[in-house]
Amino acid sequence: MFLTRSEYDRGVNTFSPEGRLFQVEYAIEAIKLGSTTVGVRTPEGVVLGVEKRVQSPLLESSSIEKIMEIDHHLGCAMSGLTADARTMIDHARVTAQNHSFTYDERIKVESVTQAVCDLALRFGESVHDEDAMMSRPFGVALLIAGIDELGPQLFHTDPSGTFVRYDAKAIGSGSEAAQSELQDKWHKQMTLQEAQILVLKVLKQVMEEKLDHHNVQLAQVTPTVGFEILDEVRLKEIIDLM
Amino acid sequence: MNSFLTRYSSTTPEADIRKAKELYGEDEDFSEVMWGSTGGFGNLASGVPMFKLPSVQDPSSFLRMHTDDHADPSCRIKIKHGTTTLAFRFQGGVIVAVDSRATAGSYVASGTVKKVIEINPYLLGTMAGGAADCQYWETYLGIQCRLHELRNRERISVAAASKYLSNLVYSYKGMGLSMGTMICGWDKTGPAIFYVDSDGTRLKGDLFSVGSGSTFAYGVLDQGYRWDLTDEEAQELGRRSIYAAGHRDAFSGNTVNLYHVKQDGWKFIGNYDVSELHYNGPGDVPGATGGGYGYDIRVAGRTSTNAPEGEAGEGQA
Amino acid sequence: MPDGSFAHPQQRQFNPYSDNGGTILAIAGADFTVIAGDTRQSEGYSIQTRYAPKVFRLTDRAVLAVNGFAADGNMFVKKVKQRLEWYRHAHAKDMPLRAIARLIQTMLYAQRFFPYYVYNILGGIEEDGTGAVYSFDPVGSYEREACRAAGAAQSLVQPFLDNQIYFKNQKAAPGTTHPAHLPLSDVLSIVIDSFTSATERHIEVGDGLEIYVVVAQGRSPQGLDAFRGAQELSTQPNGDRMFIIRRELKKD
Repeated sequence: MFLTRSEYDRGVNTFSPEGRLFQVEYAIEAIKLGSTTVGVRTPEGVVLGVEKRVQSPLLESSSIEKIMEIDHHLGCAMSGLTADARTMIDHARVTAQNHSFTYDERIKVESVTQAVCDLALRFGESVHDEDAMMSRPFGVALLIAGIDELGPQLFHTDPSGTFVRYDAKAIGSGSEAAQSELQDKWHKQMTLQEAQILVLKVLKQVMEEKLDHHNVQLAQVTPTVGFEILDEVRLKEIIDLM
Repeated sequence: MNSFLTRYSSTTPEADIRKAKELYGEDEDFSEVMWGSTGGFGNLASGVPMFKLPSVQDPSSFLRMHTDDHADPSCRIKIKHGTTTLAFRFQGGVIVAVDSRATAGSYVASGTVKKVIEINPYLLGTMAGGAADCQYWETYLGIQCRLHELRNRERISVAAASKYLSNLVYSYKGMGLSMGTMICGWDKTGPAIFYVDSDGTRLKGDLFSVGSGSTFAYGVLDQGYRWDLTDEEAQELGRRSIYAAGHRDAFSGNTVNLYHVKQDGWKFIGNYDVSELHYNGPGDVPGATGGGYGYDIRVAGRTSTNAPEGEAGEGQA
Repeated sequence: MPDGSFAHPQQRQFNPYSDNGGTILAIAGADFTVIAGDTRQSEGYSIQTRYAPKVFRLTDRAVLAVNGFAADGNMFVKKVKQRLEWYRHAHAKDMPLRAIARLIQTMLYAQRFFPYYVYNILGGIEEDGTGAVYSFDPVGSYEREACRAAGAAQSLVQPFLDNQIYFKNQKAAPGTTHPAHLPLSDVLSIVIDSFTSATERHIEVGDGLEIYVVVAQGRSPQGLDAFRGAQELSTQPNGDRMFIIRRELKKD
């Protein structure tokens, strides 16, 4: 990467002669510095899990927010520059509400993912009077979990605005090890509880600290309850089951 | 052709189209969002609803000329009007009761209108005035309340929700919106009712009735209202008040819709036919005192033409 | 005055609306919906054409009837169809009926200060397979109903439907109750009778009748075989089925 460093590094909207957009690629690199985030899809629902890096004993771990609700049937976990995700998630929330206002139905998981990705390349110089929202690419990747008429789904988005559907996906610093673990352990007929345990086991493997209910967070989207972040009591129960 | 030239020239076909679009109010800038991944939110595309205006000096008098059937009964576009609504606060929460008649001029356009708008599971809005204005803006209020909830991790207060609506309609003041609504709910402060109308009025209160039949409803309501009504008594009072309006106001009637808001959100209590209430009462429901609401039953067949002996003689003497 | 000026003040108004008469109606059954309209278009006492459709197929399971000012109506249908196509591209599915209903509300309300002079009735099959009718006022207030008539002969037809569909002012025979939904053949007879009667008594109704029938997936269009010349419009072999029946109405 450093070998190819050149004048094309700086322009956010200039292709290099080899056809690359360096700033977008660097943004994807930024995610690999983020904390590990895992998502697992099952026929019963989707589970999201994040590692919270508690850098100081004085830090209030409950104030770290890495899983957010988009709407009743949609949740989102992030890795990378989490501040950037707030813009994207607010856009997702507004899109979901506008959809339900205009069509009196819940937005599809893929549609809300597409809407978030439409933002991703809105950086650089503005075209005529349309405002570009950002001067640089977003430095965050999202796992968007949700349920619609097509059943439980999990989508991954990255700073290039690409989105792909996964059965199970890990992002962030421990993602390589985590992803291969998911590949080994994921199967089609998983129960929700198996998925919760799998997410925790994968996180445990890649985390430096010992996993407990303060430094991880679990959330799920189910057909009955919709999106919910599991409280400490339920989280502890699952940790004990591991 | 030089695109810069095209853009500013006034003699090209493009310029004619541009002029037509300006006249018609079609905004090119958000047109791409119309068909993008968001599927086209239409006039909502730019985040807040945008409205097309007729290209005349005074759009609101244009609108009045074509839609105001009070001033001119022969006007073409007859917008549906809603009519008697009431809400009151008491010890057990909030009672919301409305009729279900919509009139266009003197024609009963519908007898099954839902004049209680379920903004979300703990907020209700009532409909009086323009049916579309109330339906549209209270639905819009619903999504804004939901966004408030997602962004602040806390339910919106009734005060804040009603203020949002009031500020919204105030921004259209003088343009012809017509709505008189009560925003009812339960928040941290307990049960709450706010009256909001399209003039910009916003009032907090314990008891309101809105619409052409409101005077009749107030008559029954004021007479029977106490803070310490039981849930059943309160529901019966709501039903009876709307019945009274349906009975005396030609623009109100058909059926009564009754809602009760408690701490855990609103609950639909029932739908009652006004003429059924007149003759037979609401049936076997909590709070009902039995029998029809009409006074025919109380006078027990005694009328001026059929007065019992003695009484008529006294009157004449 | 000789110089071209006026001796008296002149008042001018912008009047972009006219009323083109005609009537539309829709009735929902348990698993089907019938949407119909006459085809006469008139202005004042002159008949402009004897065949101007007022009922349009939107999707495989949704039909829209428009009445009022024909120019506004045609433009409105065009715009609704455009939005349906955008939706199909964005969300990879046909728009469900209740979503179309809400969309129509927002589209009508976008013209709140310069309304379309159009009364809309939307009919079709809901996601749960039931028949549904949605009726709208010109600025977008709407509700789901079992039946609705709109247009010139609304006040002639609606009371008849109230009586025949809702059984208003009818007492069921002792020991029986009124059915919640009528069978298709009864509904079609009521629709045809409504229009022949409206043609007799209203000068703006007549010439032709177009009846769209939408039948839910897997349900047999029973009673339709008795009606001559029902033409099938369905695009998919196993989806909801759509038919059109055309009839002549008196032309005087």
